[in-house]
Amino acid sequence: MSQSSKYKIAVSAVAPIVLLTVLIVFILGSGSSFLQFGTVLPEIYLEKIDFIDSEIQVTVRNTGPIDVNVVVADVNDRIQPAAIEPDNHLTRFETALVRIPYDWNEGQPYAIGLTTNDGTRFEKVVDAAFPSLQPDVELVGYFALIGTYVGIIPVMIGLLWLPFIKKLSKNKYQFFLAFTIGLLLFLALDSLEEAFEISQNNLADTFNGTLLIGMVTILTFFGLYFVSTQLINKTKFSKISAPVSISLMVAIGIGFHNLGEGLAIGAAVGLGNLALSTFLIVGFAIHNTTEGFAIVAPLSKTKSVIPKLAAMGLIAGTPAIFGAWIGGFFFSPFSAIIFLAIGAGAIFQVIISIILWQRRENNFLSSWPLMLGISLGLFVMYITSIFI
Amino acid sequence: MRSQSTKMLAVLLVIFAVSTLYFIFPTITVAQEEPKTFLTHTGLMIKTTGEVIDPIGYNGEPLEFNPDKFLRDFDYGIVTELDDGTILREFTITARDDQIMEVSPGVFYNVWTFNGSVPGPTIRATEGDLIQIHFINEGSKSHTMHFHGVHKAEMDGVFENVGPGGKFTYEFYADPVGLHLYHCHVHPVEEHIAHGLYGAYIVDPKEPREPADELVFVLNGLDTDFDGENNFYAANTIPFYYKHHPIQISTNQLVRAYVVNILEFDAVNNFHLHGTLFHHFPAGTDSVPSGFNDMLTMSQGDRQILEFEYEYPGLYMFHAHVTEFSEKGWVSSFLVKEQNEVKSDLIGNEPVI
Repeated sequence: MSQSSKYKIAVSAVAPIVLLTVLIVFILGSGSSFLQFGTVLPEIYLEKIDFIDSEIQVTVRNTGPIDVNVVVADVNDRIQPAAIEPDNHLTRFETALVRIPYDWNEGQPYAIGLTTNDGTRFEKVVDAAFPSLQPDVELVGYFALIGTYVGIIPVMIGLLWLPFIKKLSKNKYQFFLAFTIGLLLFLALDSLEEAFEISQNNLADTFNGTLLIGMVTILTFFGLYFVSTQLINKTKFSKISAPVSISLMVAIGIGFHNLGEGLAIGAAVGLGNLALSTFLIVGFAIHNTTEGFAIVAPLSKTKSVIPKLAAMGLIAGTPAIFGAWIGGFFFSPFSAIIFLAIGAGAIFQVIISIILWQRRENNFLSSWPLMLGISLGLFVMYITSIFI
Repeated sequence: MRSQSTKMLAVLLVIFAVSTLYFIFPTITVAQEEPKTFLTHTGLMIKTTGEVIDPIGYNGEPLEFNPDKFLRDFDYGIVTELDDGTILREFTITARDDQIMEVSPGVFYNVWTFNGSVPGPTIRATEGDLIQIHFINEGSKSHTMHFHGVHKAEMDGVFENVGPGGKFTYEFYADPVGLHLYHCHVHPVEEHIAHGLYGAYIVDPKEPREPADELVFVLNGLDTDFDGENNFYAANTIPFYYKHHPIQISTNQLVRAYVVNILEFDAVNNFHLHGTLFHHFPAGTDSVPSGFNDMLTMSQGDRQILEFEYEYPGLYMFHAHVTEFSEKGWVSSFLVKEQNEVKSDLIGNEPVI
């Protein structure tokens, strides 16, 4: 290629961007008022409300198109003096912490309101006030313990199904594989539902929670699919076979899912719903035993897998601990949604991998074992979910 | 080739992760300043490095509208004596609807005004005076002035809308004696009143009332987000104003309060006085008080003249006993001092002529 043609290519690549920049500058430029119609309204969003000793703390974000000042705070629509840190002026997307000295009562609902400089009041309702958790060593250990009970132990127990699965005929084996697909599919839908719920209740509209969930799910799916294909290609000639890779991907997928479960438990404890979280813990423990089964199913035809299994059990189970920490101490709707969507995307990838892997061997997709297995898997999960 | 694509993937992931972090933790860097201690009116205390937003204990720059000045400010008009001995009082009142006013510290609201303020001037005359109001509408909408009291139908300010740029002269005799009010009566009336087009109108008896420290309280509210509910309540517009600026009166001095309720959206308002009781005169039309009380309940448009004295010096609250209103601004206080301590120029608003 000659020097001048390279130059031409470079120009043709850059020219549209330059022109677009000029257009934007022209539209936004100071002298161009011709596009200014309509009224821009300030908007803030109360992301998080914490109840501390004689104080209510509100994390507020400017989610509107223009700068705002937060000028009045109220509790149950009664004006209260407050402090705002670092200051009451919020630029786009900036957050501030509003501290309202207030002797609140435990278990009582509160509506917290903030008024902006144009006199508009924004409100968030807390169903029941409970003291926010302050991270200390004891609580960190407590959450780690919960994570172990919910994540690691049940998954490990589930792994003990290995000898049973090894003895199965091909049809029965496929049935159980399909059963795990059913379980996983349900978990993915469950994660998505949870993500949508958080997006609806805790995330400002500006952040397009729904689109974010879809985007992260799809990205995770393709990302993991890419990585796992690389992994399988790389290990083609080694002793680790496709079943191990698939099993590993199942473990990773479930790991993300358990992170989400940890978040749910941590957040429930953090919000003071201790009774609810005890129930959550028992429910997740039962539920997660079936996840061990999903990890172990692809491995049934492989030999000497005990150390690998243990590693996979940890990969799948440990994230529950991190989830509980994040959920309990640093709950942010934004990160929760992202983790849950990653979990869903990871599970979809696992399901596709299992189906593609089995299809190579026989007519799996339209077989009785698959139909029955998936149905039963979904049904079992639905029943257990009712009790959680 | 593979390592390249892996690198690309890694770069993409890093970019994604960093941009996510930015959104989650945009305020990670907070300058550490010396914390200041902040004590609330309820006695709670916090230390903060940030700003204090406290309309209740506000001690910052004064706002544009000064309730202290309004409190004892009476507009007697330009006075001329007609040939037949009648006193003519001429007032020029201009309506506007484009002002943005700071109604509570940091809260900016589009007020509609008579002579540039909410409430409009307190118009005061003596029974039988001829009142001429030269009304000029400098607003962008139609406005009128509707006075309560006795007058001809065409002076009622209801059917003769004054368009933008228009003028109208209202003429009537001050009648009857009492405490009345005026407000814009253009449809939708609720909107025109809620934005601030109202004021007090006092007709004194020919035989003057007993000298007193005379105060005007126009009880009003502000629906700053237009949801049909008041965000703020007040005596004389600015929420909590007389809470952080107590009104100075003196012991054993007759105080006469002209109380007008022009609150929109809430059917009932009231007035509760601490530390003493008042005699009250509904609409101020009778010379005999209709009660001796510390509570007064008033519906929309109701007025009452209150007369009271304090025996003991000190800080006394007066506020709406609809506690919601008081906790949203309609809470005030009197600082009662021994008689010789109070500046004499604050006492006794004798009518001229």
